[in-house]
Amino acid sequence: MTPNTSASGPSRRSFLASTAVATAAVAGGMPLLAACGGSDGGKKEGTTSGKDAKKILPTFVAQNVVTPDIASKNGSSLGFTGKLSLADLKTSVSGKLGKGSTIKIMSPFWGTPPKGDNPYYEAMNAKIGAKVVWQNQDGNTYDEKLGAVLASSDMPDVVVIPGWNMGGKIPSAIISKMADLGPYLSGDKVKEYPNLAAVPTDAWQRSIFGGKLRGLPMPSSYVANIVPYYRKDIFDKKGYELPTSAAEFLALAKEITNARAKVWACDDMKWTAFNSFGVLSGSEKSLGWNSVGGKLVYRVETDEYLEALEWTRKLYAAGVVHPDAKAQNQGDSSLRFASGEVLFYNNDISHWWAKTAEQAAQNKDFRIAGMDIFGHDGGDPTLWAGAPASIFAFVNKKASKAVIQDVLAAANVTAAPYGTEEYMLTNYGVEGTHYTLKDGTPTKNDKGNQEVLNAFVMLASPASTIAHPDLPEVAKAQVEWQQRMGAFTKKSSFYGLQIIEPARYTNLSNDFEQLEDDIVRGRKKISDMQQAVSDWKSQGGDKLRDWYGKLLDDSGSAQG
Amino acid sequence: MAHGTTSRGGTSPQGSTPHGSTPRGTASRGATSVTDAPPDAGVSEAERRTLRKASRRASRKAANGGTFKARLKRDRTLVLMTLPAVLLVLVFNYIPILGNVVAFQEYDPYISDNGFVAIFHSPWVGFEQFSRLFEDSAFWDAVQNTLVLFGLQLLLFFPVPVLLALLINSVIRPRVRAVSQAILYLPHFFSWVLVITVFQQIFGGAGIIAQTLREHGHEGFDLMTDPGIFKFLVTAEGVWKDAGWGVIVFLAALASVSPDLYEASAMDGAGRWRRMWHVTLPALRPVIALLLVLRVGDALTVGFEQILLQRDAVGPGAAEVLDTYVWWNGVRNQDFSYAAAAGLIKGVVSLGLVLAANKIAHLMGEQGVYKK
Repeated sequence: MTPNTSASGPSRRSFLASTAVATAAVAGGMPLLAACGGSDGGKKEGTTSGKDAKKILPTFVAQNVVTPDIASKNGSSLGFTGKLSLADLKTSVSGKLGKGSTIKIMSPFWGTPPKGDNPYYEAMNAKIGAKVVWQNQDGNTYDEKLGAVLASSDMPDVVVIPGWNMGGKIPSAIISKMADLGPYLSGDKVKEYPNLAAVPTDAWQRSIFGGKLRGLPMPSSYVANIVPYYRKDIFDKKGYELPTSAAEFLALAKEITNARAKVWACDDMKWTAFNSFGVLSGSEKSLGWNSVGGKLVYRVETDEYLEALEWTRKLYAAGVVHPDAKAQNQGDSSLRFASGEVLFYNNDISHWWAKTAEQAAQNKDFRIAGMDIFGHDGGDPTLWAGAPASIFAFVNKKASKAVIQDVLAAANVTAAPYGTEEYMLTNYGVEGTHYTLKDGTPTKNDKGNQEVLNAFVMLASPASTIAHPDLPEVAKAQVEWQQRMGAFTKKSSFYGLQIIEPARYTNLSNDFEQLEDDIVRGRKKISDMQQAVSDWKSQGGDKLRDWYGKLLDDSGSAQG
Repeated sequence: MAHGTTSRGGTSPQGSTPHGSTPRGTASRGATSVTDAPPDAGVSEAERRTLRKASRRASRKAANGGTFKARLKRDRTLVLMTLPAVLLVLVFNYIPILGNVVAFQEYDPYISDNGFVAIFHSPWVGFEQFSRLFEDSAFWDAVQNTLVLFGLQLLLFFPVPVLLALLINSVIRPRVRAVSQAILYLPHFFSWVLVITVFQQIFGGAGIIAQTLREHGHEGFDLMTDPGIFKFLVTAEGVWKDAGWGVIVFLAALASVSPDLYEASAMDGAGRWRRMWHVTLPALRPVIALLLVLRVGDALTVGFEQILLQRDAVGPGAAEVLDTYVWWNGVRNQDFSYAAAAGLIKGVVSLGLVLAANKIAHLMGEQGVYKK
């Protein structure tokens, strides 16, 4: 397996796909704080923005040690499409900032965790100047353990929490149990950690919980991260044309599907449907709210939401969706795609590189490409921005000052940008031990694939970056796709704010995702969703609307 | 057991009575000796009653093996052997019961530094969680699904191990018997993930059977995503995985049947069916009754992992059972108090069921799980 060089760790982001992520996208890029008003900082619910946030946020200092080949545009990631020269690697961290503490970190992990004292961890610890001890947990079931660990009196020094695992009372736990990093990072104090100072302000803004800066963020592009992939090699061979509307997609899907030959047009396309029909983002509750004509609406109340479900339901009813997709958690959709059993599937943008690299040795004809998201009626789509940071590391408030400083020293190393020695060490390991150069491309060996996995990158990351020195054309295609889609992306009213809903409302929307799946698979009707929305309103949805309305009055909108 | 203890107690040197003699046998016999004694002219009726009571107490003590201290000394080895198990049950079964108190709270584990201490800081809400629960149609759907699944499992699963045990028992050649047993046991060791994957590969919409049908010009089918047959599917999976394992206890019961009984009945002219009806089945009856009572006690526990893995394939409307409902609300949604209330109801109802089932077993002349 070739290493993934994307700074924001697509392998981790890909797990966004397993949650309710529906949409995301880009837009203007106006700094959020310029649009925000006051806040009720310091409380256990609500948000912190405007002047209150400015007092807390770290000063942004651009890191100019490397220049990307493709600059960020329309909210895209930075793109690196050239060959990587190890001789020209820059240094972003001079000396060791760490003071030798032992830091225990609990983090989600996808794959088999390596042994504790391996050469990669030792090299990282030596670079940081502290000893990091990893307590890795299965990322797929992380939310099942997280609540219990946070409730215990024996919490590790650092706990990594993905945004999609912040349901229920987790935000309350973060506020109660995690340290305020403001005294170490707010304002110019962050300059002691230059790589953390280069983390985009939007990502820091999302790290404010209960009026304090508590998280070390993993920045991500706010452009849609769910790409509708198609088999370009088969499309070229068969002469299929990409659809430009929902109706064209359905017609093409019927043409493609040949169940007798074990070929179905697509896997579950619900997320693409949400994007195509312009449904507000479902990745986080606050992103699902938007002010329309002076009134706040929630995504499930919109016509677009019902239309997207109805269209997806038509795909299932037409028999163009693979039967294993109907069974939901049976098998891996990307394997069905790679085997040619389905020609369309949607997944995280990281699959673009991952499937290309994986299939390079197995099927030389294999070509994967991302279809541009079409507006359902054939026009331009309306896409909604996702969160500018997706995963956060939090420090236990019981940790000593020395431990907190060493955690920040470690984060300063892991947040180094692409093209630096620290980045190479964090993402590739030690040259000769974990990777070698082949035709100028760093390529991980077996040891590298076993040891250099998603551990240290969870601590903090640089600005969202896409770089694949082994497959630069894929990196180029990914960034360009983000830029095209970014042009159609808008920010909903609460974009970029870390909002903690009152506890009485946290479970109000829990069952909608399940109901969506029931409806598109034909087990329930659209009218059941309408009834559920009606129940939602009466059981607290309308009161929640009032609560968000007040918040909007206080904080201002990201729409400016 | 009780009788044996009584006999030993009767002969125990500590079992002396006010009469100076040790009554043999049961406590009632001891009492009878006083009642039947000729009335003493100098003893009033009240004194005789006191004497009788004292005699009964002494007899009971004797029947139980003497004083507590004496019995402790006598049974110290057994007590020591039992102690670790009692401790385990206390720590892992009884102390956690106290945690059910959160069902009457709005429990927030993060209100304090320690989740346990948080219980003392969380606000009390009385029966509010139960009210929410009873008003939630999803809860009643889960109850209904649970009971239907229990009924199906009782009808379609429970008899299968008995039938298999009878079948295996009728095989005379040891090698054939051992091999068939091993084959039947094997699926028990497969994980549910594997079992469901195998079923999906066979009965799924893109499975072997559906695909073969399509290749021959017929319509395919998909049993794995059909909510209408889900409960039968779950039962079938359970039979395939665990029926062979369930055979063990019945085979053990059959092994204790004396071959003389078969020989005698054969001598009397009983055929194969007669021998099964009059010798084999009566031998199995106590075990069947015991397991049935235990199963009824678990009526509301119809599977967790197996159902959770397939919940999305058919939707919660068909697949949600009490255990998955508790998990979904407690673990996934972190609504701990609400889930605790659901779990508490489940526990209370299960207790009632096992008591009722045990009573029925007693009425049918079987021992059940325990005797009074």
